[in-house]
Amino acid sequence: MKKNYPLRVLVLLLWLVPMAVFGQVTVSGTVNDASSGDALPGVSVVVTGTTLGTSTDAQGRYQLQIPTSTGRLQFSYLGYVNQTADFNASTTTLNIKLQASTTSLEEVVVTGLATSVKRSNAANAVASISTKELVGTTNPQTIDGAISGKVIGANIVNNSGAPGGGISVKMRGITSIFGSAEPLYVIDGVIMDNSSISSGLNAVTAAASGGNTSSQDNASNRIADLNPDDIASMEFLKGASAAAIYGSLAAAGVVVITTKRGAAGKTEINFSQDIGMAKVSNLLGVREFTEDRVRSTYGEELVPVFIAARNAGKLYDYEKELYNNTGMIYTTRLNVSGGNEKTRFFVGGLLQDEEGIVKTTGYEKKSIRFNIDHTISKLFDFSLSSNFINSSSDRGLTNNDNAGVSFGVALTSTPGFADLFPDENGIYPRNPFGASNFLQTRDLMTNNELTNRFIGGLTLNSYLQESEGSSTKLVIRAGLDFFNLKTLAIFPGVLQFQSNNNGTNGVSIQGNNYNLNTNYAAFLVNNLNLSDNTVTFTTTVGATSENFNQDLALNVATQLVENQTNLNQAGAVSASQTRIIERNKGLFFQEEVNYKDRIIATAGLRLDKSSNNSEVNKFNAFPKFSLAVNVANFDFWQLDAVSSFKLRAAYGEAGGFPPFGAKYTSFPLSNIGGNTGILIGARRGNPDIQQERQKELEAGVDIGFFNNKILLEATVYNKQVEDLILFQNTQSSSGFTTRVVNGGELRNKGLELGLSTVPVETAGLKWDSKTSFWLNRSEITDLTIDPFALGAFGNGYGTFFIEEGKSATQIVGSNADGEVVKMGDATPDFQMNFQNFFTIKQNLTFSFLLHWKKGGQNVNLTQLLFDASGTSADYDGDDDGDGVINGQDRLGSGTAETWVQDAGYLRLREIGIYYSIPKTALSSVFKNLVQNVRIGASANNLFVISDYAGYDPEVSNFGGNGLSTGVDVTPFPASKRYFFHLSFGF
Amino acid sequence: MRKYNRTIRNLVCLLALSFALPACEIDDIPDPNSATLEDIMNQPTVGKLNNLVVGSESAMRNNLGNYYDAVSVIGREIYRLSGSDPRFTTDLLGFQESRLDPNVFYITNPWSARYSVIKNLNVLIEVLEKSDLVSSGKLTEAQRNGYLGFAKTIQAHQLLLNLNMTHENGIRIDVKNPDNLGPVVGRAQSLTTIAGLLNEADGHLRNAGETFLFPLSSGYNGFNTPATFLEFNRGLAARIAVYRENWNEALSYLDDSFLDLAGNLNTGVYHVFGTGSGDQLNPVFFPQNAGGEVRLAHPSYITGTVASDDRLQKVSRRTSAGSQNGLSSEYDVFVYKTNTAPVPVIRNEELILIYAEASIQNGALPQAVTALNRIRISHGLTAYTGPVTRPALIDEMLYQRRYSLYFEGHRWIDMRRYNRLNQLPIDRPADDVWTQFPIPFSEGA
Repeated sequence: MKKNYPLRVLVLLLWLVPMAVFGQVTVSGTVNDASSGDALPGVSVVVTGTTLGTSTDAQGRYQLQIPTSTGRLQFSYLGYVNQTADFNASTTTLNIKLQASTTSLEEVVVTGLATSVKRSNAANAVASISTKELVGTTNPQTIDGAISGKVIGANIVNNSGAPGGGISVKMRGITSIFGSAEPLYVIDGVIMDNSSISSGLNAVTAAASGGNTSSQDNASNRIADLNPDDIASMEFLKGASAAAIYGSLAAAGVVVITTKRGAAGKTEINFSQDIGMAKVSNLLGVREFTEDRVRSTYGEELVPVFIAARNAGKLYDYEKELYNNTGMIYTTRLNVSGGNEKTRFFVGGLLQDEEGIVKTTGYEKKSIRFNIDHTISKLFDFSLSSNFINSSSDRGLTNNDNAGVSFGVALTSTPGFADLFPDENGIYPRNPFGASNFLQTRDLMTNNELTNRFIGGLTLNSYLQESEGSSTKLVIRAGLDFFNLKTLAIFPGVLQFQSNNNGTNGVSIQGNNYNLNTNYAAFLVNNLNLSDNTVTFTTTVGATSENFNQDLALNVATQLVENQTNLNQAGAVSASQTRIIERNKGLFFQEEVNYKDRIIATAGLRLDKSSNNSEVNKFNAFPKFSLAVNVANFDFWQLDAVSSFKLRAAYGEAGGFPPFGAKYTSFPLSNIGGNTGILIGARRGNPDIQQERQKELEAGVDIGFFNNKILLEATVYNKQVEDLILFQNTQSSSGFTTRVVNGGELRNKGLELGLSTVPVETAGLKWDSKTSFWLNRSEITDLTIDPFALGAFGNGYGTFFIEEGKSATQIVGSNADGEVVKMGDATPDFQMNFQNFFTIKQNLTFSFLLHWKKGGQNVNLTQLLFDASGTSADYDGDDDGDGVINGQDRLGSGTAETWVQDAGYLRLREIGIYYSIPKTALSSVFKNLVQNVRIGASANNLFVISDYAGYDPEVSNFGGNGLSTGVDVTPFPASKRYFFHLSFGF
Repeated sequence: MRKYNRTIRNLVCLLALSFALPACEIDDIPDPNSATLEDIMNQPTVGKLNNLVVGSESAMRNNLGNYYDAVSVIGREIYRLSGSDPRFTTDLLGFQESRLDPNVFYITNPWSARYSVIKNLNVLIEVLEKSDLVSSGKLTEAQRNGYLGFAKTIQAHQLLLNLNMTHENGIRIDVKNPDNLGPVVGRAQSLTTIAGLLNEADGHLRNAGETFLFPLSSGYNGFNTPATFLEFNRGLAARIAVYRENWNEALSYLDDSFLDLAGNLNTGVYHVFGTGSGDQLNPVFFPQNAGGEVRLAHPSYITGTVASDDRLQKVSRRTSAGSQNGLSSEYDVFVYKTNTAPVPVIRNEELILIYAEASIQNGALPQAVTALNRIRISHGLTAYTGPVTRPALIDEMLYQRRYSLYFEGHRWIDMRRYNRLNQLPIDRPADDVWTQFPIPFSEGA
């Protein structure tokens, strides 16, 4: 029995203490805005050093029963400076006036799986985007569009302008070449799948030979399913030093998304309607043909065809026919939130209907979110988040293709004197210049992605123990992300490339993709306050478990019964299935020590194992350490102009899994004549494959001047990725073209500077401005395998090339002398953004976001294809004055330098102006029924200034995979979007 | 108090359990998507061996399109116009400064597709060498010889296709161990090895009993027993013998092959195509009058023979000429009439021409004339009336090979064998006729 004694004491401490004490004092009061005097609902009121707290109601009132008779209350509210006030038995009424904060120092940032820290105490430069920055200026089509250009330290590239999004996010440079290079998305504790699932278009485009799916199918990312308007904040843990606690899943960083939640008080209803339109943002133009030009490009035989077309007035600009549709956009949102002391709720609804800049393309989304927070008792509360999404995108047929069937490739080969328009019977003429009549393809094909998705998360907090100096809670969390993605690509038999022996008399490609992710976690969190609040310890221990299941079934039905699209209405069906099953388990521990907000130190350790590893039951350990020193909080600090001065450093490690199946040498199917066969896969498995390990050290200084009206954040980092997982190009005579190996080291170094200022703050005008500057330099510091090319289309046009001592994203190519030399780098020299919010006389707001990307090259094969077919707009010019016209100059240059082009730009990403009708005017008309009415206008992508000779410098033929961004092959062009906004608050 | 203790203890246990849970084992998940090498090596069965055979036969077709395009464009048999990849009209034809690149699909893809088949068959051979299938009575020695005869014959054929591309640059022969590959060896030695491989297969097939244990597609109809498959093997051996200029050897191999001077010219072994699941369509079929992606007959093909030559039916006049980058032709290549038309591996017409060639070189000129006339008359030409001399008959033989084996991958190789690449027509002033492809970049050679 003796042995058990200490345990019993602990148990008693844990369980009996909170039950043994009773409220001894009741503190109450109101909280108002210091400048306007308006009541502030939803302000968090917490007894410092405990988890005991409440929040204010709609009138800004609060009341709190407190077990001790003296203490201190902390009042915090997003966007306001925190305030504390002491209470004792005689001072039980505390009326507080909160100052609006000009900077975000008071917001909390997530540093652990169950804990957070004030930004002013954080040791990492965690980029965060608030709902105002996310959707406050204009209406993004998807969440991926909403973060473009806004995240310091990230290189975010839209893969194309196709409806439904598609994005590549690289935080602090490339972190993996073949493994997962996209960040992990965690929404309210639920790990959210962000796959890009191909719809099997390769079956008609043959972009990648020998397979039904390819990374060139222009699939969207599933993160696009989220409704941006549901999001309260997004935090970007950019590297291992901040994200180590996510272990093996965190190699490419973590994006932590928090959705909106209700506050106690009056029920608020907000209804908003946007009406907008999308137009193509840039067209390349078409070549103006003359008889001579027709003769030289197409030969004498077509000259009469050209003359006939010209005389009949039938010279067309097919680029405009194809891409110059005006797409109407309608977005309706309804948010309802409210609740009482015990239960708070948020309901967010979205109806979105968009048409693309290509006829028959578009995007529709319906989303409903229901978040509820309930306090069961002093001991238990829970939060439930649930979201159902139905989204449908019609994405057209773009990108690379080897069959001449995609819109863009067919367009490049078609001169304006071709006639592609249907006759009065709706019969489309054959396009003699291409494998397809793209107008017919556009009008008759289907390429739809239909997603039904449910995301649900539950967090249960049990307050196990509460005493003056210590509080302990148990957090149990469960998350589920389920979706079914149906892809439907139909190419009817009547299409030029499916009829008359071309193709297979119709193709119906249907994908049925099932995804179920579940994650569970349990944490014990203890807050311990030593003597008079000078030192606080926050201890977390926890365990996590993640299960990922994906089942992708793709059927390609050909030889269709006329007008039928069912898989069984076909002469031939080819099926493929890919299953991905992953089981991860982890343990972690974290200790945070805070000395008077002056010195904040954290240490943590995560232990992980996974079925993806070669040794499934071996733990991998990922430590982290960080230290922040708020020099200005020390007593000796006398410099009033400098209101805050923080030095910080953080180190952490994270892992990256080998790609699923990397340990196996697989035998895909290879049938003939009804016999079943197997053929050894091109990739040689490696049963000894290890995880990639990232080690990141970041250090920085944050300085606030004049009460933090000017805040400068400067960060440098060094991120080393070891045991880089590489698909070594093997001698293909071995029967394998690649082998998975751990073969190198990669380093990213970078600099991030952020300057937040309030240049003007008067009664009539407030101007918030945020300027960021960031750059990243990568280097392959070690490569144990031969240098190799990847991505793109070979040395002749420029390809990525992994080589020791060189940038990981360098682009090399053959020059005119046949030597393979460096010609560019996909990584920009630097990026800057300039984000501004103006508030004029309280009612008028004006905001804009400028984004400058300096340098960074693309491989522009769109121009190549136009040139190769003699249809480029500038084909006949002679820019270099050498007497050879541009088109032939470029095509015959014999050097990839021609196609490796600078893709820098200055882009007005977002601009918006809104007017709120004054409350006095509202109340005279609507009494108190309508609380606020806001009207506005906005646009995104209003202009792009770039020397780049493609549709848009932001492009990726290969989607978001690894290194391949910036390869441009007849993409879906980007669009500009204009909106009118109207919203009502009740 | 006792009861309370127990409750607490249960709770603590529950907590402890929730932390201990993750510590429990994770099961290793076998590849859910396909068979793996480990599985085949460790648990071989006849069914798996047959899957490997079928997979190999099927994969002989992989990337055939790029192979035929590459050798036929350089051999000036066709133009391959492509809206999506201009390198068919630039690199392959040596347009201006363009040249063949060792890291571009036209060489890398066919090269690795052939070696993939070779590897698949090496897995088959390794299983047959290491497993106890024979000793445990699941396989007879004759049946085992059947597999080996098939495997080595096909390996030889696949090696030859790669050597056809790289010529004097050579190929890698010893590719059994991916961690320790043999050297890249030159053309002569490679041909010797390929011939040796066919002879090994010959030995296996002669001891392989009456039937194979594995299925072959209808492309092997008439050649799907050890005895008849051997005739196919000997046909390939004869082709290699003339490449090696071993004329007597060629004639003796032809004796054991399916050569039939009077027989159907199209008898032979074929790649077949179909729309079945996991099957492939004919990659060298394009319909007539297509746009964008087309194969046009080189204009010299039409002008190079007489109108009565029925081999002109291998091309089809377009409704409008196709052109790109200064190349233009009014004729589509139309060798294959549908997207499931079979593509020959080797057929009787080639064997007759090999017979003619070996006879000419051996000085048996009358026999050669007989064989050539068999071809001429079959195709609507009159009997040969030219001089019966070695040089004249070589010209005639090459002419017949050009038309009879059009777009079957022979023209460039034939002209190269006879040092006549300089006789191939040049379409644009700065174009080049390449002799051979560079070894793919990945070989590091």
